[in-house]
Amino acid sequence: MPVEVPSDEDVSAAFGKGDPDALRLLYVRFGALVYSLARRSLGGQADAEDVTQQVFVSAWRGRDTFDPERGSLAGWLVTITRNRISDMLRSRQRDDRVLLHMAANVTTEDPAVPSDQVVNRVVVADELARLPEAQRLVMTLAFYSDLTHEQIAEVLQMPLGTVKSHIRRGLQRLRSRLEADRVAY
Amino acid sequence: MSHTDPEFLALKALGEQAGTAQDAAHLAQCADCRLELERLTRVVELARRDGPTPLEEPPASVWERIAATVGSEGAGVARALVPSDSARGAANGSGRRGPLAPPGRDVPARRPTGVRVGNSPGRGGWRRRRLRLVAAGLAAGLIIGAGGTVAVTQLTRPPASQVLAEIELRPLAQFPQYQSAAGTAALRKTQAALQLAVSVSAPPRPGFYEVWLLGANGTSMISLGDLNAEHAGTFTLPTGVDLRFYSRVDVSLQPFNGSTQHSSTSVVRGSLPATAAGAAEPS
Repeated sequence: MPVEVPSDEDVSAAFGKGDPDALRLLYVRFGALVYSLARRSLGGQADAEDVTQQVFVSAWRGRDTFDPERGSLAGWLVTITRNRISDMLRSRQRDDRVLLHMAANVTTEDPAVPSDQVVNRVVVADELARLPEAQRLVMTLAFYSDLTHEQIAEVLQMPLGTVKSHIRRGLQRLRSRLEADRVAY
Repeated sequence: MSHTDPEFLALKALGEQAGTAQDAAHLAQCADCRLELERLTRVVELARRDGPTPLEEPPASVWERIAATVGSEGAGVARALVPSDSARGAANGSGRRGPLAPPGRDVPARRPTGVRVGNSPGRGGWRRRRLRLVAAGLAAGLIIGAGGTVAVTQLTRPPASQVLAEIELRPLAQFPQYQSAAGTAALRKTQAALQLAVSVSAPPRPGFYEVWLLGANGTSMISLGDLNAEHAGTFTLPTGVDLRFYSRVDVSLQPFNGSTQHSSTSVVRGSLPATAAGAAEPS
């Protein structure tokens, strides 16, 4: 029985070998990442679906160009996604120059290029979701509650040292992920 | 000299009062530790920025389209991507996702979630009153959560700073050499000040990038400061600045010639919305 969500290493290895199941694994692992990036950059669901489809199809067709020595699979996919989003935005601009004009006064839920901020937020969310449960709970409370690490330890009935180490390793992991994906953050 | 405890830096990045006087003294004089702290702080700011960010699953139809497109190109691949419901059921026999089943909405949460981070906060959902939770109340929430999910969104707080506006910075038509440049600027209000966080993606050029607020008259400007090596920076705005007048954010490329004037080479520019200027005024 295969694991529900494959590890990045498994996906990367399968993909590198051109394993017939690699595309499915890639999609299981990164479908939500790619789709969320597209949704947030493009707004519309239909366009986001189109971009997601294009990204995985191009990733499959271009699988020979993925070089694990040069960066992570996630980073490679994020790059493809950004390019497809840009293509989509450019074609929209051609379609409707009025929008571009209006965009000057709009706060950027609908940016003209996929913004680094959007990419970073989605990458962070993806990595948080990948943390082991206890650590994810600690990180979520550390980020989004008013609790100090001592309070988190008390509430979760975890040793203080464990909470501190979860926090340290969690932050490091998020940071490495942002760097591995070669996202400017 | 030994560096500070990495856990101290992590807690400090989260905004906690942590560490000893020695840690603080070391930090004050150690560039490496300060850089590390800055990086961790940026990760924290990113994560906190709009509260928990949920990832969205694409609808099942997306995988079906991918499988169909790729399948038509190579039989070997197509067999592994059988998307139909009957094939899915037959393949894994239990309704659980098996090797042949595409992911999608009909599949139970693919990430087992002990904590549901922001189910659907939406754009305005994050503006939540600050909840002062006693540990007991929170513990009760977590006990409920042990059997299912904890709505952490209810335990969460607004970020220490409120984002008033987030704008894109775009290249100007008169500088064709920077057409690939782009950037963002976020205007934030903290208790004490207005801050502008600017990040630019632009080619490395001789010189440095400097951030300005441009006045509506086209001649007045305020220099906010220089971007760092990663073309980013956060600047505190002068207290009392009128953002209705100084509404444009401009990033210039400055030569190292000692001049404090704008070089007249604008790489990217964007306008803060009037609503942000209103919100920025002291209440």
